[in-house]
Amino acid sequence: MDPIEPDDADKTGRRFRRFLDTVRERFELDHVAYAGINPVTGTSHGFMTYDIDWSSHYLENKFYEIDPVLHKARQSIAPVDWARLERGAEFQTVFRDARAFGITDRGLTIPVRGPFGDVGGFSVLRDCPRREWEMLLGGIIGELQAAAVHMHDTIIRSEPLSRVLNAPSLSTREIEILQWTAAGKSQQDIGDILSISHRTVEVHLRSARQKLQALTTPQAIGRAINLGLIYPR
Amino acid sequence: MILVIDAVNKPKFAHVLDEMFRLRARVFGDRLGWQVEVVDGRERDVFDDLDPAYAVGLDEEGHVVSCVRALQTTGPHMLSDVFFDILDGEPPLRSASLWESTRFCVDTQRLGRGRGRNSVSYATCELMIASLEAAKRAGVSDIVTVIDPVMDRVLKRSGNAPYDYVGRQADMGKVPALAALLDCTDERIERIRAFSGIETDVFIPDEAALLLPAIAGAGTRKTPLEDYCDEQIATACNARERIDAMRLKAALADRVRSHSDISA
Repeated sequence: MDPIEPDDADKTGRRFRRFLDTVRERFELDHVAYAGINPVTGTSHGFMTYDIDWSSHYLENKFYEIDPVLHKARQSIAPVDWARLERGAEFQTVFRDARAFGITDRGLTIPVRGPFGDVGGFSVLRDCPRREWEMLLGGIIGELQAAAVHMHDTIIRSEPLSRVLNAPSLSTREIEILQWTAAGKSQQDIGDILSISHRTVEVHLRSARQKLQALTTPQAIGRAINLGLIYPR
Repeated sequence: MILVIDAVNKPKFAHVLDEMFRLRARVFGDRLGWQVEVVDGRERDVFDDLDPAYAVGLDEEGHVVSCVRALQTTGPHMLSDVFFDILDGEPPLRSASLWESTRFCVDTQRLGRGRGRNSVSYATCELMIASLEAAKRAGVSDIVTVIDPVMDRVLKRSGNAPYDYVGRQADMGKVPALAALLDCTDERIERIRAFSGIETDVFIPDEAALLLPAIAGAGTRKTPLEDYCDEQIATACNARERIDAMRLKAALADRVRSHSDISA
């Protein structure tokens, strides 16, 4: 998957919507949606692959004020299967209308938390039997987690103030490992060089990718070079 | 039996969480002498206000015998905000696939010695299995856990030896603390299961937990405010009124819910 590139010219967030489309196609989902809030700037953000009729119906009826997917699921730390949400009046109201628009209640929300109180929820939906749903999730949940945090971080950092607050802060070890990776060393080699386990190398690389808003190691190396954190060889 | 409690189901288990905070006060405040704040016999800190996930071990009666707390490393957590001495001034790891686990403890008063169901060893292994399985199911591949040397030895003796450590050992009150790395893999889970002889599913679903005597007895009373909100929703004359009533409830959500946590 391609990461979302920083682009100040894109005021309407077309690149975020495009990223959701990519996730939807890649994992064969019906829909993907993201909603997040940033208390530092007092802004909220929402992007979704739903048709315009459902999004406008949702907004007109101010469903975002009662939707348990936003108010409950986003507060957890683990992905919340919508089957766990209480079928109370709030849920019924939103999802009865959703069904009329062809939107299923077979969904899962991945909660995301940033360091400054910013929170987001990355939701995926597919209308299918329970067993199929669980098998699908089992295979893609790790990648969805990475996509969710990437989406959230990129959106939050599209705001100038939050970009300053969230400037990538890599540890000496993370930089060292990126530098060796750029030099063509394998994780096993780097582990041997630094006398740490190869899994520790992997954990640091994942963290470095996250901090540099990259989805793959080559992307992370490119960004680290641009930022002057490491030197090309 | 391990019950997982997070923001979604905590209104149902306020009593369990309260018992858990008391256990933590006895373990970390009294027995281990960590620098923790105990108020009214309960050990709570700011991270407990951030809706972490807890894995809580329950005995047959429904009493709390063990617990551990998990937070995402992408947001506020202890290594970034409290235990930074361990990291020696370095920024902490931050990754969607890494969770932080803290406040791991078991009730050595309620549990006995040996390896049977009600032993410290069984409860410890059951909780370790649950933590790793819950993280794995969430798509999380590794856990960084802040522990003391005693716990480090317990991990090593139970087939759950850390594969590495980050930062250095730092002083936290009477005891040193360190940050260990655990992979959430089938191999690790299998080693702990083999060591402990635990072959069954370790989780208890919400509905089953609510039937355990100590939990059913405590009840889950609604607050008057929640009663009021539900009544307004039920007696609304039209859709507009109903949605407004629900919005009021959602706006008051914090007060409607958190009351039951404090009063239990």
